[in-house]
Amino acid sequence: MRSQKKPVGVVPLGEVPEIALKVIAAHISGYYKLSVQILPPLGHPEYAFDERRFQYDVGIILKAFESIKFKDHDKVIGVLNLDLFVPIFTYVFGEAKQGGKFALVSLFRLGKNPDGSPSPSSLIFERAAKVALHELGHLFNLLHCREKNCLMHFSGGIQDLDKTPIYLCRYCSTYLKDRLLHLNLLGSEEGLCQ
Amino acid sequence: MDEKMSIMVVDDEEIVRESLFHWFKKYGHVVETAASGFEALDKLETHPFQLLFVDIKMPGMDGIELLEKVKAEYPDTMVIIITAYGSIESAVKAMRIGASDYLLKPFKPDQLALVMERASHQKRLLFEHDYLKGRLEKITRFDNIIGQSPAMEQIFDLIPEVAQSDSSVLLIGETGTGKELIAKAIHAKSRRAHLPFIAINCGALPDTLLESELFGHQKGVFTGATHARKGFLEVVSGGTLFLDEIGEISPKMQIDLLRVLEEKKITSIGSREPVDVDFRLISATSQDLGKAITDGSFREDFFYRINVIMIDIPPLKKRKEDIPLLIQHFLEKYGHETTKQVDRVTRDATELLKRYDWPGNVRELENAVERAVVLSQSRTLGIKDFAFLRSSPASLSRPQSLQEVEKQHIQQILEEYNWNVTQASKALEINRVTLHKKIKRFNLERRP
Repeated sequence: MRSQKKPVGVVPLGEVPEIALKVIAAHISGYYKLSVQILPPLGHPEYAFDERRFQYDVGIILKAFESIKFKDHDKVIGVLNLDLFVPIFTYVFGEAKQGGKFALVSLFRLGKNPDGSPSPSSLIFERAAKVALHELGHLFNLLHCREKNCLMHFSGGIQDLDKTPIYLCRYCSTYLKDRLLHLNLLGSEEGLCQ
Repeated sequence: MDEKMSIMVVDDEEIVRESLFHWFKKYGHVVETAASGFEALDKLETHPFQLLFVDIKMPGMDGIELLEKVKAEYPDTMVIIITAYGSIESAVKAMRIGASDYLLKPFKPDQLALVMERASHQKRLLFEHDYLKGRLEKITRFDNIIGQSPAMEQIFDLIPEVAQSDSSVLLIGETGTGKELIAKAIHAKSRRAHLPFIAINCGALPDTLLESELFGHQKGVFTGATHARKGFLEVVSGGTLFLDEIGEISPKMQIDLLRVLEEKKITSIGSREPVDVDFRLISATSQDLGKAITDGSFREDFFYRINVIMIDIPPLKKRKEDIPLLIQHFLEKYGHETTKQVDRVTRDATELLKRYDWPGNVRELENAVERAVVLSQSRTLGIKDFAFLRSSPASLSRPQSLQEVEKQHIQQILEEYNWNVTQASKALEINRVTLHKKIKRFNLERRP
């Protein structure tokens, strides 16, 4: 029985393959047992383009999200096919504020293997799902986990991301379940996938 | 990175501060930010940060200047320098001054993760170093002997000097002044430190048992001696023997011990074979041994043998300036042991504890703080937490009735003024006639 009040929103920004959005939504629903809604696309975030770095500033996009409000959703994940950065880092796969409402997932750097060769689409989507579940974890206040076999373990590069499992460790899983129960987003009889 | 740290990000660019703030939050660290070196120093005064991320280029005070000040004031605080590609030289300089690491902006997320892992490792090493250093100091310094009064400072100076020799030491002090702790400290500082330290309370053992304990016995020499047993004088082999309450031992035992000290040999009960022994003797007493010698209960030759070096430990009432320090020490000790967060004593309560006479000395103070910590409901101990001190044996021995208090007070004032009734009546603020009446009524007489 689901008692969730508002579904998690997955919103594309600019051109994003529909299949990627569906994979992300299916994983959120399957692993976190949350209802998900794919929202109509938002425009290409030109306003966040940094001409010196030829990348898009995560902070600016997240600020723009705040002005949109998304009243029917408590958590919203923006998906882009653009190279994202925060000023201190050369790039990021995704970004979310701890315990916040909005997260971003970029597909831009997920298409290549560590040796530079193109990755199969199944692997690209699996990576996208991992980043989305990881960032959504932060929105539910999960911290980076020291357990390497945990989705919440920090992945700095594509190699790390491939090594990171798509599931949470027992500790993070218990914490998340507790959070979801507390927020009335999960039935007490339901468990998360581990 | 497995430990939570308290981190401050110091950068004049808000976006950098924000980015790092949110990134560290994802690890559960306690994070603070400062927009300048001055703000960072202000915050350091009120909160001890373990790690600082400092940008080199900042207006006013640059990162290098801040690093120098931090390292001078807070040497245990780790500093990681953030710098742009153009200022590698500054980064090198920073490392020379004491920065733990540096990062070139912008950096890959995994580079920051790696730097943090190294910082966490360094923090762990620092902690282990401090812990081991503390343990070592505790073992080799004056384990739990607390004091900053001149009398105690003198004892602290004496301990290492005394420890260098093998001469017998006599510790004199009231019960609870820490005689055994000082004996242990002397042992710990001596060349015998790695050998046994054996403490025996002579007052707690009957003479025959004490003899058996010290000299050992052969199998079957008395009822219950089912097997041979080595005495402490032999077991201590090379270490230090601490005989507490030495004034309690019998004249026979004094002769036996005197012989051991002179010949360095013992013969266990029931044996004829003497065994060589090697130990350093530290004795202690709370009695007046001079008086015991006069009345014949303590041998003079034995007294001089055990009293090569004498250390007189003052009672707590004569070193009241040490009381706040001792309170703090016991608060930490029992706060840690009981895991209760009690870390303060109010000024009023401290004054109360300083006024109290502490007949049981440091041991009584320790018990009082322990009891107060265990029963306290708050972080701060107040007067009410030490209310039990008022019902102590010392205070019960004071007069209870008003009449008795009046009688004792008048007697005391008269003695102070050498029974000059005019002066005493002025001090008591009563007239001479009234004072005469009271002297008569209370049957007061000049003390011999």
